[in-house]
Amino acid sequence: MSSEVMIELKGVHKNYGTLEVLRGIDLQITKSEVVVVIGPSGSGKSTMLRCMNALEPIQKGTIIIEGIDITNPKTNVNKVRQKIGMVFQSFNLFPHKSAIENVMLAPLKVLKKSRSEAETIARDLLVTVGLSEKADAYPDQLSGGQQQRVAIARALAMQPDMMLFDEVTSALDPELVAEVLNVMKELALGGMTMVVVTHEMGFAREVGTRMIFMDGGVIVEESDPREMIANPKEERTKKFLGMVL
Amino acid sequence: MESLLNGFEAFQRYYLNWQIIKETTPLLLKTLPIVGELLVLSMFFAFLLGLILSLMRLSRVRVFRWFAGAYVDFFRGLPLLLNFVFVYSGLAIVGAASGLRFLILPSIPAAVLSLSTTYAAYSAEVFRAGIESIHRGQMEAARSLGMTYPQSMRYVVLPQAIKVVIPPLTNEFIALIKDTSLASVISVQELLFTAKEKMGVVANPTPLMVAAFVYVLFTIPLIRLASRLEKKREGSSKGAKPTDGSTGKTSAPVLTDVATQLPKGGGLG
Repeated sequence: MSSEVMIELKGVHKNYGTLEVLRGIDLQITKSEVVVVIGPSGSGKSTMLRCMNALEPIQKGTIIIEGIDITNPKTNVNKVRQKIGMVFQSFNLFPHKSAIENVMLAPLKVLKKSRSEAETIARDLLVTVGLSEKADAYPDQLSGGQQQRVAIARALAMQPDMMLFDEVTSALDPELVAEVLNVMKELALGGMTMVVVTHEMGFAREVGTRMIFMDGGVIVEESDPREMIANPKEERTKKFLGMVL
Repeated sequence: MESLLNGFEAFQRYYLNWQIIKETTPLLLKTLPIVGELLVLSMFFAFLLGLILSLMRLSRVRVFRWFAGAYVDFFRGLPLLLNFVFVYSGLAIVGAASGLRFLILPSIPAAVLSLSTTYAAYSAEVFRAGIESIHRGQMEAARSLGMTYPQSMRYVVLPQAIKVVIPPLTNEFIALIKDTSLASVISVQELLFTAKEKMGVVANPTPLMVAAFVYVLFTIPLIRLASRLEKKREGSSKGAKPTDGSTGKTSAPVLTDVATQLPKGGGLG
């Protein structure tokens, strides 16, 4: 495995008014790592993820994506975001566009690909996520699991170097969780660098290369997922895992 | 009994005088192209300017926000009639005195300018509410794909907002039809102006009744359409999950409906 650093956070602080959400995060993620982030709600894990592609501005610290400082105001974040795929808890598919149009939009408008090129990319990706027969369906005609798989395909259409997953199975009915996790597992096996905020401990144990436990806006503990789940060191980690396992 | 009969006869003589109806109707129908011209041009400029103002109001640039806010407040607070008189007579006086002849506007351009500037303010509020009703996650998803703010607006947020604003914009259009009658005070020969002129000639208010009938002939179907569109929207958004912001397929027919219905209103001319 290469040790090329993909994402680096240095002393990241983030607050909403007087509420401190992130209180000094230091983190380095290298190529092909699958970092699973866990923690109680309000611990700042989703916020940290959203800071990684500048959806949220930070007040202090530095975030470097593939060598580019995205906290520098001179950086063109649109350019950097093309290399970071993001998948959301609430899917956020474009409801006025069919599944394939959702996947095609960014290649067409951002990468300026031709329609036929974009369509080829989109069809291939829909096959990858197992939805080739739903290409012309609209989001409200798809189940939650199907919508989320389209959302993954949409993010992959930009050929990103890394993917951020923000509690992508939390809004799904239990029987639909597996189909989404399977797609993510395939991605991880293909060597994609991934940061995954999740409560799915089975997925973490099986696919994760590193686990981070956050609480109160700081990283409390980090180690191999199997190691952390079996032998948590910090009291807070023990307490949290005791509740979710 | 006799007096009641007399009363009815008098009513008919003054308000529904058949002879006068026959004389007035063709006169009024001849004004429809002018009314249509006022409507189509004013609607086009008002909606265009309104959309630009709403985007300015939501912009991150403070000067834009301030300007659009001040514009909308000012024109919402201004009597439309005053706007008409100012644009037609007020500007002309300055134009004549200073030699800036472009300030002296013919009555139809003056009417279009008055209606568009005012209705731009009204529709800016409608557009702003429409854009704000689109879930924040839509903009975030678009931006996270590397799209710029203008691209995200154009391809993701606005197409959804347009569907939301069609019923309230239909209401604005109905109000606009009625407000074209204000152009009569600056001598645009539209429905009300012509009806009033005829009323003076025949010393009988029947022409006003004919004009009233023509207005409601166009406005009532649009009022019905607007409330049907509103009901349809409420129905379609009820089923959608708030998290995914999907209004998707169900509201698509709304667009085609309006596309086929609007020319009726615009087709006055």
